[in-house]
Amino acid sequence: MGVGVGVRMNSVAVGLSRDLAPKRVMRAVAYGHDLAVWRDGENGLHAWDNRCPHRGMRLSHGFVRGDRLACLYHGWQYRKDGGCAYIPAHPGLEPPETIRAQTYSVIEKSGVIWVSTGNDAQGVDTGPVSEPLRSLTFFCAEAIARAAFEDTPFAGNLPQVESTGRLVAGGHPVAVLANPVTESETLIHVLTSAGVGIAAKKALSRWCEAARSVAERQAA
Amino acid sequence: MTFKLYNYVLSGNCYKIRLMAALLDVAYETIAVDFYPGFEHRSPGILALNPAGTLPVLTSGDMVLTETQAMLTWLALTYDVTGTWYPVDDPERLATITEWLGFAGRLSQSAGLARLHDMLNWPADEKAVKAAAISDLRTLELHLNDRVLEGGLWIAGDGPTIADIACFPYTALSPDAGLEHDGYPAIRNWLYAVRALPGFVAMPGIHYLHDLKETSGD
Ligand code: FES
Repeated sequence: MGVGVGVRMNSVAVGLSRDLAPKRVMRAVAYGHDLAVWRDGENGLHAWDNRCPHRGMRLSHGFVRGDRLACLYHGWQYRKDGGCAYIPAHPGLEPPETIRAQTYSVIEKSGVIWVSTGNDAQGVDTGPVSEPLRSLTFFCAEAIARAAFEDTPFAGNLPQVESTGRLVAGGHPVAVLANPVTESETLIHVLTSAGVGIAAKKALSRWCEAARSVAERQAA
Repeated sequence: MTFKLYNYVLSGNCYKIRLMAALLDVAYETIAVDFYPGFEHRSPGILALNPAGTLPVLTSGDMVLTETQAMLTWLALTYDVTGTWYPVDDPERLATITEWLGFAGRLSQSAGLARLHDMLNWPADEKAVKAAAISDLRTLELHLNDRVLEGGLWIAGDGPTIADIACFPYTALSPDAGLEHDGYPAIRNWLYAVRALPGFVAMPGIHYLHDLKETSGD
């Protein structure tokens, strides 16, 4: 059912745009790479290798200062292009160009953050079904997680599968995006459409939990 | 002096009280108890105060409290001039707060115990206790994501309450037990919001936001 089945995808959904505010950092995994994904003060989005070029501290523990990401450990600061801008222990030093964080291509589409390990991240257009519901981790392989949504009844009825690959659960359109973090862990992002009310969204959120139970029981 | 806290610096339960007192800007006296390796909480002096031998213990005059939920309630009712941390005039919100105070007690026994096991080799059924911790983190994530869907952020209502403080430490400290927050975006954003509260204090394993010195390297 996957959205994007048949489309050659070079990018993976690492999170919902809603869940990463300006000047915030999160950790993500894309194709086995450990990443720090962060927003600068102007809402610009960046995805970097999650290792500080200094001593390898996770940059996802760092914090944003203006348009720079600062490492928590010794405070080295990196510009949006990944280059080191400032080393607190040597305030007078212009850091050499060679000190730079490895950057990845990242874009936002359909309310979702997409990362590519190539240089042209692209996202799936989920059309009107781009209202964020939630992200949640399934301890199982991607295929099992995806299948579980089709096998989990919502209010007593199995969801319908549309030709687009999207589902309709209890009359509510749903798009399920999957990021295989490992062979036994999948990060799922669920979208619905803007017209769905809060009570229905909460019900859909619980349906996601039910699908997770189905998937994890199968994987156990 | 306002009250005395029998305190162990690495305890998430003791930290709940230190954090609440800091947010309410209340000064108090601490009595350090060497929980590990000294096991001083099982000493006759402490047992005379709290037969259960748990920490923290809070005393004020003749009053002795041994449950953190009771301490948070007392602190809010005594020192919160705004009346917002424990809003007694809103039955539904107060009930939700009490619900999550109960949850916080369970969290101490799951994520809290998992952390003690990993940090101090505390006796525990590791598999069972980590499964319980994951289940509790998922319960909290579900609720906090509901709050996001409602346009909110805090556990109960529009602002922080003692329920947030009760649930904060063992959720924030779960990476000590190998339970990272990366798959829990609502929890991640809520933890950040607690750390951003005016008056917030840190503990080992939970640091201040932007605690990095601007000009020194190490
Ligand atoms: S490891 Fe990042 S600044 Fe030292």
